[in-house]
Amino acid sequence: MSGKHSSSRRDEKNEEIVSTDNAVTEVKRRRRRKISPFTYVALGVMTFISAFPFYWMFVVASNGSDEISKIPPSLKPGTHFPQMMSAVYEAVPFNRSLLNTFMVAIIIAVSQVFFSSLAGFAFAKMEFPGKKWMLIFVVGTMMLPSQLGVIPMYMMMSKLNWIDNFKALIIPALVSAFGVFWMRQVIDAQIPNELLEAARIDGASVFRIYRSIIVPVVRSSAFVLGLFSFLATWNDFLWPLLVMNSPEKFTVQVAINQLQSSYVIDYALNMGGAFMATAPLLVLFIFVGKRLVAGVMDGAVKG
Amino acid sequence: MSTQAVPGKSQIKFKSSNAPIDKKPRKKIAPMRRQDRWGMLFVSPFFIVFLAFGLIPILFTTYVAFFNWDALGGAPEYIGFANFKELWSDTYFWQALRNTFSIWFISTVPQMTLALGIATLLANPNLRAKVFWRTVLLVPNITSVLAVAIVFQQLFGYDFGMINLAITWLGYHHIDWVGNQLASHIAIATMINWRWFGYNSLIFLASMQAIPRELYESASLDGANRWQQFRYVTIPQLRNTIIFMMIMGTIGGLQVFAEPLLYGGGMTGGDSRQFSTLTLYLFEQAFFNQRYGYGAVIGIAMTVIIIAISVLNYLIGRRIATDGTK
Amino acid sequence: MKRRIALLISVMVALGAGVAAPANAAPVTLTVWSYGNVFQTKLLNAYKAANPTVTIKIKKSDMDSNHQNLRNALRTNSVPDIAALEVSYIGEFRNYDAYFKDLNTMTPSASTIKNDFLGWRWSQGVSPAGKVIGIPTDVGGLAVAYRRDLFAAAGLPTNRTDVAKLWPTWSQFIQTGVNYKKDTGKAFIDTAGTVFAAALNQGTQRYYTSGGSLVYRTNGSVSSAFNVAAQAVTSGNAPGKYDGGIGTKTGQFSSGWGTGLQRGTFAVVLAPAWMLDYIKQQAPRTSGKWDVAKAPGSYGNIGGSQLAIPKNAKNPQAAWDFIRWYLAPAQQLTVFKSYGQFPTIESLYDNSSVTGYKDSFFNNAPIGSIYVASVTGVHNIPTGKKDRIIDTTFGQAISRVMLGKQSSSAAWTQALADIKKSIGQ
Repeated sequence: MSGKHSSSRRDEKNEEIVSTDNAVTEVKRRRRRKISPFTYVALGVMTFISAFPFYWMFVVASNGSDEISKIPPSLKPGTHFPQMMSAVYEAVPFNRSLLNTFMVAIIIAVSQVFFSSLAGFAFAKMEFPGKKWMLIFVVGTMMLPSQLGVIPMYMMMSKLNWIDNFKALIIPALVSAFGVFWMRQVIDAQIPNELLEAARIDGASVFRIYRSIIVPVVRSSAFVLGLFSFLATWNDFLWPLLVMNSPEKFTVQVAINQLQSSYVIDYALNMGGAFMATAPLLVLFIFVGKRLVAGVMDGAVKG
Repeated sequence: MSTQAVPGKSQIKFKSSNAPIDKKPRKKIAPMRRQDRWGMLFVSPFFIVFLAFGLIPILFTTYVAFFNWDALGGAPEYIGFANFKELWSDTYFWQALRNTFSIWFISTVPQMTLALGIATLLANPNLRAKVFWRTVLLVPNITSVLAVAIVFQQLFGYDFGMINLAITWLGYHHIDWVGNQLASHIAIATMINWRWFGYNSLIFLASMQAIPRELYESASLDGANRWQQFRYVTIPQLRNTIIFMMIMGTIGGLQVFAEPLLYGGGMTGGDSRQFSTLTLYLFEQAFFNQRYGYGAVIGIAMTVIIIAISVLNYLIGRRIATDGTK
Repeated sequence: MKRRIALLISVMVALGAGVAAPANAAPVTLTVWSYGNVFQTKLLNAYKAANPTVTIKIKKSDMDSNHQNLRNALRTNSVPDIAALEVSYIGEFRNYDAYFKDLNTMTPSASTIKNDFLGWRWSQGVSPAGKVIGIPTDVGGLAVAYRRDLFAAAGLPTNRTDVAKLWPTWSQFIQTGVNYKKDTGKAFIDTAGTVFAAALNQGTQRYYTSGGSLVYRTNGSVSSAFNVAAQAVTSGNAPGKYDGGIGTKTGQFSSGWGTGLQRGTFAVVLAPAWMLDYIKQQAPRTSGKWDVAKAPGSYGNIGGSQLAIPKNAKNPQAAWDFIRWYLAPAQQLTVFKSYGQFPTIESLYDNSSVTGYKDSFFNNAPIGSIYVASVTGVHNIPTGKKDRIIDTTFGQAISRVMLGKQSSSAAWTQALADIKKSIGQ
């Protein structure tokens, strides 16, 4: 039998009172699991490693190009940031590109999560002809490098008249083999068959089951999948560079690529552009992050 | 309730709660059996788009592998298996293969271990500033690859890079992080690790959060310490995720492309191909040398290799039993 | 500087606004695929001001991607109206003239402007069948930018005429470098391998004959340029060490290169005209310390582009109007004065704005006349389909020699084998 929620109540000493499924509730006084300082130190090191290059980008961007060449390298931010920002805005419609990328990425993320969870549900819990081979095929296609596909894809986009149109970015990306594979594995692991049997016996429709059972349980994984899909679109570079021609339709990676000159890199400008492309996303994550934690905690409470 | 003896600790019996975990002895009954058509319906949106767009690269690659074609030249010229034969004796291909494995090994193994460790630290419900840690871990992944390459090129620069400056300050000699084969692999693997370790730890975290708390409580009731809980609860429960991550890590790692391309600034992976990877070699043959057929064959060879390794990963991963024995 | 440009633009717009747009002009959007500094914003804005119905959309990629994407697109209807083609790729595209508009057949024909342009640069855009597929933009030329203060510290002359006398040939150039390194312990040039392209472009032929046959193996100029480069990257090394020969081991244009420029870790850079602007950007604080002298062999060229119109372009006439305007003498003069890219219009070579042009960054060197002399001597070297591949392969071979991974003859042999593997011949 799948466990019911275990409720956690806390007494005055802030120690957890843990109750189990058994008829007799035992009050266990357990010491609250203390976080050792080691954890915070380790996380602090991780933070430094993750954030330092980003900080360094800001230092270079705000100091002007010749600062990157100082020995020892200067680690303090400078005052040229506004100047660099206006140079970026002069070169490309930057804010527009942020908006474009955000729109495209959200549509793709939502679509991929939705279709992947549907298909993942089917692969995990349903039987239909050819299922096994389809799944192997899906996974197998992830293993073929897709670089050569650019050629026929461009021809196809050209025939459909989708060149320089957001459709070329969105429609081929509406589904994801990775997403299907992951959702299938998550649903397989986290949803016991008995639950579905019980629901079926109760007469629930498939959609009802999907909505009331599958969705809540896989919510945290689905959220993470959506996030990663969003990031993949945000970072995608080669394909958008090929198919978009109008500067006002560029995505953010293509936009910051316009800052390059022939051979030599204007470091302040490029780092500045990259920084400006990353910072809004970071801000977004801080807002969305609370939701992420909440969603993940939901998954934790359900036993 | 099944109890298993833990090797080496015969006094401690580990109780596991049943059903959701203990699937092995029972034959799996598809619970939605009577609704096959729903299965097909749910899968169809995926397949429609996939057949329209995802299949095309595959068909094209498979087709062009049997031809000599250079894009602008004219009709493709059928040459049968000539490309395949050439690949077999192509020393640059095998070199790219060795490089790819080397980089993959240096990047995947420490990265996954690190990701698992961090996820464990983050899984603690009493941790403060959760949102902050999770956000920070994603910073490397949201930074554009181009910018990352520039930063790392600077870090690993020969004369003035920060790392060489630190090394010479400590009294050692400059390392040629581009020209030297192993050093270049380490530099590229560092770029990859930096970019993905946070991402991977969040995947582990998502799966860890789904492990029922009762398992940990039972284990600690039985006297298992933190490390034992990790080994006998976390790892088995994460088995599917670990397999999944190993397979995805294989697929991603063997296809590494952007990092060596941007690090070296060219498609050959250095003057002696010291960091030429399989995908980079494919790209070079197809787009730089305009030998699309040959590039396609490289792609097919890569698929075979990746499938083989993934199956291997799966078999290894399966040895992590779900009930805590090893 | 930026403020002045902005002011200039607003003045031009104000002026342009007073000019009535041509009647019945339908709005046109030109799609342009380019890379790097081929198109300058100031001029684009001026064109827009004078032609308000024309919108120009430029997409910049890195050099290789630009041409690779173009190759993918040429077989479809989704091509840009204008494509910028770099000199190392022009050999390929001009051999596929079926994919481009023959500019001789445009109105007015390209033949009407042909005589304005430097002959050998014009030929680079002409297909074997005689079709004009691209109009030249700028020309690199070749000179040597050197640091007067560092030369003085090494006991070398600083006057540019005397400096040019140090190196009438490449071997003497290398010898100067060896002596400099011995006397100062520092590298002479930024990257010694750059002498390869410089020396090679001084000949009459490179990898192809004018008939299109591959001669990279047998052409003596190729092997001798290779030997010169191999010498340059190994001469002057301490015994048993591979320090980069007369140069540093830092790649040209990398971040270490910029640092090197600022700190004076090398004294000399082989300089096509466009290089001067890079030096100014990367090391502004070294202003006044540089000068420009003639290169060994006294003429030469590195770099340049052509502008072409793909056959399936949607707005070929508007594209042609823009190209003719952008590459006309007046505009090329503006580009030269603001950005240092040397014009391909021969009549400008008598223009006092060009011949009298001096730059205080380079100690008031008469840059205009130096480059005029360097470009007019260059031969009409045939370009071919696989130029870029062959260039890159030789470049890597020279790099291996520099790092001590191979001897010069082993590297040469491997380069030949690699080229054969890549291109089939």
